[in-house]
Amino acid sequence: MSDFFYLIAQQTINGVVMGCLYVMVALGLTLIYGVMNQINFAHADFVTLGGFAAYFFVKWMGGGYLLSILVAFLAGACLGYLVNLMIFAPLRERGDELRPLIATIGVSVLLENGALIAFGPVPYQFDSPYDETIRLGKIFFTTQSLLVVIVASSSIAALYAFMKYTFIGKALRAIAQDRETAGLMGINQAFLIMLTIVIASAMAGMAGAMLGPILVLTPFAGASVIVKAFAIVIIGGFGNMAGTIIAGLLVGLIEAFTTQYLDSGVTDLVVFALLLIMLLVKPTGLIAEKKEENV
Amino acid sequence: MSEQLSILKKIPSWVYYLLTIALIIVLPILLGGSAYWRSILITISLNIMLAMSLNLILGYTGQLHLGHSAFYGVGAYATTLLIKKAGFSFWMAVATSSLLAGIIGILLAFFATRLKGHYLAIASMAFAIILHQILLNWGSMTSGPLGIYGIAPPPPIALFGLEIKFNNQVNLFYLISFVALISYIVLNNILKSPIGDTLRAIREDEVSAASLGINAKLWKVFSFGVGAMIAGLAGSFYPSFVGTLVPDAFAVIESFSYLAMVVVGGMGTMIGPIIGAVVLTLLPELLRSIGDARLLVYGLSLTLVVLFMPGGILQAIQLIKTKLIK
Repeated sequence: MSDFFYLIAQQTINGVVMGCLYVMVALGLTLIYGVMNQINFAHADFVTLGGFAAYFFVKWMGGGYLLSILVAFLAGACLGYLVNLMIFAPLRERGDELRPLIATIGVSVLLENGALIAFGPVPYQFDSPYDETIRLGKIFFTTQSLLVVIVASSSIAALYAFMKYTFIGKALRAIAQDRETAGLMGINQAFLIMLTIVIASAMAGMAGAMLGPILVLTPFAGASVIVKAFAIVIIGGFGNMAGTIIAGLLVGLIEAFTTQYLDSGVTDLVVFALLLIMLLVKPTGLIAEKKEENV
Repeated sequence: MSEQLSILKKIPSWVYYLLTIALIIVLPILLGGSAYWRSILITISLNIMLAMSLNLILGYTGQLHLGHSAFYGVGAYATTLLIKKAGFSFWMAVATSSLLAGIIGILLAFFATRLKGHYLAIASMAFAIILHQILLNWGSMTSGPLGIYGIAPPPPIALFGLEIKFNNQVNLFYLISFVALISYIVLNNILKSPIGDTLRAIREDEVSAASLGINAKLWKVFSFGVGAMIAGLAGSFYPSFVGTLVPDAFAVIESFSYLAMVVVGGMGTMIGPIIGAVVLTLLPELLRSIGDARLLVYGLSLTLVVLFMPGGILQAIQLIKTKLIK
């Protein structure tokens, strides 16, 4: 087979690996938006802190890498719980649309710079034990990227199934569709919103643990991912899981091929130009949700 | 006490302007020969312009705009490049680049007229990221991440036969604070006119505003245009003050610091963003002994103010005032 084919296949694999991570982060944003029409800016820092939690678990406590993914999961869940407790829950009662967003921007700036002071700007080398290279013809990938795809796709599938088939998932979708009516049906909103944020944040933390060995770990690791996650949720359609998954993989692929054929410096440029075009042409995203009050 | 307060209200506004001018003249003299404090004074003046102009869009028109750093960056880079590459005179370059920033603000406003709330927040942030990436990647024009060095201060001007040079920071401070004062007067007049009521009506309820015959789209474009122009004007003085120009000075995170100034000071008031800009520029400097805590302070104060004092420092001052009267 020609080299051209291998190149395409190689970049497709690279794109899918990054896309999987983006989907894990973006799904959380979309879920939170779905149940309470809010964006959590600090979501980015759950990715970063999840990565650091996993790193220090391996480094200091001698834990295994797979277990450290679980640690990052828990770290993300705790952070999500705290942000809900301190920001979203108290502000929800006052019923202002933009204030929680501004508050989470504050939390994000705070966490990011707190991490900068605590961990320093020098990137941490997070070595995964899964660094063997698998070779298929002229296509290379590491076992770590295989692990990322497996963990990401299984957790995404689990989340999808949870939302689709369990009672709690159904209740969450009911809140997303109509909050007041869902409340009348006896659904405990405050608890379910908290649960959504915790699940979403845990996924973000987990993504951080898997991101560490692929990129490097810095206090800004999450920030570079989250801006793309924002682009993904809008391109996919805010609050829509299937759209987010498609858009996440799409952005991963765009990024890989931009790096190959243009320049690695312009990937953000291409992704955000796509986002702005999408907002102009079809602001409801690839798959539109029924409510369009924000557009 | 209440009598004294009512006397305060009767003082005509020109007295306040005169007091402000006196304060501007006295401040660099009071702070002595310290170059450090003088550069902080200049930074405060620039931040006041940025916070006031963001407040027009965010506080008065109610548009959650997170890309203000883009307008600041356009002003800074356009001025420098027009002088360097196109041979413009300094003042022509300042005028042209603030106009350019205004036009770019109007471009962003086309998004604002179609989007609301969170969508606008993300679109405006994407806008600032794109501009930052262009500055980083357009190496032949902007020298990319290395930046542009050795930018000259504004050329001297002749005033009443006196030549005023701007290579000293006191005169530069007078110049920039004069520009900031003019911007304040312009904004204040706009907001006291019926236009101010129109913008506030759009902020409170766009549909009701439209039903009263207000063309919300047009006024959003106006608000973004004027806001961007003033931010661009601030930006065009930035390079000649700092002497160097790097893209990271206009990264998205800087938009968040202007947001913090507006919210911490008191959103939707004239004086609030000024207080916010002064406090949030001074506070990190006073905390310098702990380390570079600038953004940490911004993040913390932004969160605390939104949670506990949504009207910002201004609300706190008014609370204290009413308690004193009682």
